[in-house]
Amino acid sequence: MRALLVVRAGIATTVQDGGRFGQLREGIPPSGAMDWSALRTGQHRLGHQKDEAALEFAYGELQVQPTDHCSLLVTGAPVTLAIDGAIVDHNAVHTVPPGALVAMSASTSGVYSYLHLRGGINTTPCLGSRSTSPREGIGGLHGGYLRDGDILPLGDPGFHHPSPDPGLSRTHSRDMLTLRFVTGFQYGEFSDPAKKLLLEQTFRVTPKANRMGVAIEGPTLQTGIRALLSEATCHGAIQIPPDGNPIILLNDRQTVGGYPKAGAVIAGDCERLAQSRPGQRVRFVAVSPEEADRIRWLEHHYTETKLEPGQR
Amino acid sequence: MEFEVGPAGDLGLRLAFAASPQPALTHRLLSIQTAAREAFADALIDSLVGYSTLTLFYRPLTFERDRATDWLICQAEAVQNLDTANTAGGNTITLPVLYHPRVAPDLEWIADSKSLTTQAVIDLHCGAEYFAYATGFAPGFCYLGDIAEALAVPRLDTPRQRVPRGAVAIADRQTAVYPCESPGGWRLIGACPLTLFDLTATPASALSIGDTIRFEPVSEAEYRSLGGTF
Repeated sequence: MRALLVVRAGIATTVQDGGRFGQLREGIPPSGAMDWSALRTGQHRLGHQKDEAALEFAYGELQVQPTDHCSLLVTGAPVTLAIDGAIVDHNAVHTVPPGALVAMSASTSGVYSYLHLRGGINTTPCLGSRSTSPREGIGGLHGGYLRDGDILPLGDPGFHHPSPDPGLSRTHSRDMLTLRFVTGFQYGEFSDPAKKLLLEQTFRVTPKANRMGVAIEGPTLQTGIRALLSEATCHGAIQIPPDGNPIILLNDRQTVGGYPKAGAVIAGDCERLAQSRPGQRVRFVAVSPEEADRIRWLEHHYTETKLEPGQR
Repeated sequence: MEFEVGPAGDLGLRLAFAASPQPALTHRLLSIQTAAREAFADALIDSLVGYSTLTLFYRPLTFERDRATDWLICQAEAVQNLDTANTAGGNTITLPVLYHPRVAPDLEWIADSKSLTTQAVIDLHCGAEYFAYATGFAPGFCYLGDIAEALAVPRLDTPRQRVPRGAVAIADRQTAVYPCESPGGWRLIGACPLTLFDLTATPASALSIGDTIRFEPVSEAEYRSLGGTF
């Protein structure tokens, strides 16, 4: 069996693919890669066609050893990549010999990186996906974050010519990240001061950021709304707990919540937020649902155009 | 009946009724959910019924906002009142429970704080049928209500780090069984020996929104024979 030994598991390393859908009624969130564009880029460059899973890891720390010859690539937050101690181009597809030590370290920007291996991480799918939901203990190798010494099965590599980088990165650094959001949920009942602060003030990403969501801080928002009955949350939902500091809910969010929500950040900006480090300045801009539709279609068209010269 | 339809993010639609939660409302929401699955088929990626809401999530490239919004408004308008609502559907499920301080660290506290005997607490809890209003919090976790006013207790100030699988709990006017070990802030009143969440089963959860649940007290011997452990 082709396999991958996890030598140093690093921070919050999980198996992820595009995510698990249709399980909200079971209380299971979608999970999946926090930076879908980075996942898609790696799948494209290695010629993957079936949503093959990759290893998602945070802040660049991961060391692995494949048992066989293997083509691999790192996408997402840039890392320093070393193969058997020699530093190599971190943005290129490399073919490594059996037993090679592949070490990734200290990314300079962004949060989540993805190690793609030709053939994909071939753990047993759970409810239609290999994505790990650590809180629920579902998916991946054993339902949780990977540990030193774990051994992951790899899929059949088949035959393939690597494709060039389509240039879909979400990790460009910027002084101010604009989070476009569609108003909804309880937004109409928010107090006027809370709405004004949300739309006009600047916030910062806090260290309380993980796969469940990203807490931001700035002026505290007193929505004037008391606790609600539980209802579905959604990807990008801007939830305001009683302390007045918003949390943007992401892939591993709880499926229901009882705090007021101002609306939800659009998908592309959620990826940019997930890749933002603590201290990143953010502001909110409300967009109409129709504008969100246009942005989604444009981003889809852009992505497909970038991917066209390759495998698709 | 008063309602609103609005966005739930860029790929979701949310229907919220102003009416207070009640089984008849949940059944209406469930029937709209079923109709949505038929009307939108693969375009609908997921959906969820809450206490008074239905949220529909669509696939990025097949979401037709105007059509989907009009459809949902039309469905909501058809809900005239709840008195005549069809409340059929949903299973009635009986869950065995061992009510004993060994598996219920809060049982005696609840009795003391409500000036009841522990037997009176048990009788109140298993003397009524409960409706499954919502799921969430953890896989297979089902919010059941309403428990008797006389049993209503606040959540723990500091949630327990570890609530065992099968713990039967109450908080406010709600009750639930923890299907898996997890942290939790509800008061523990008993233990259910049955498996309520099993990834190899279809569906994975034993309880679904719209079901009616009864709790039946069992002896320690019965609890053990049904697979219960301490």
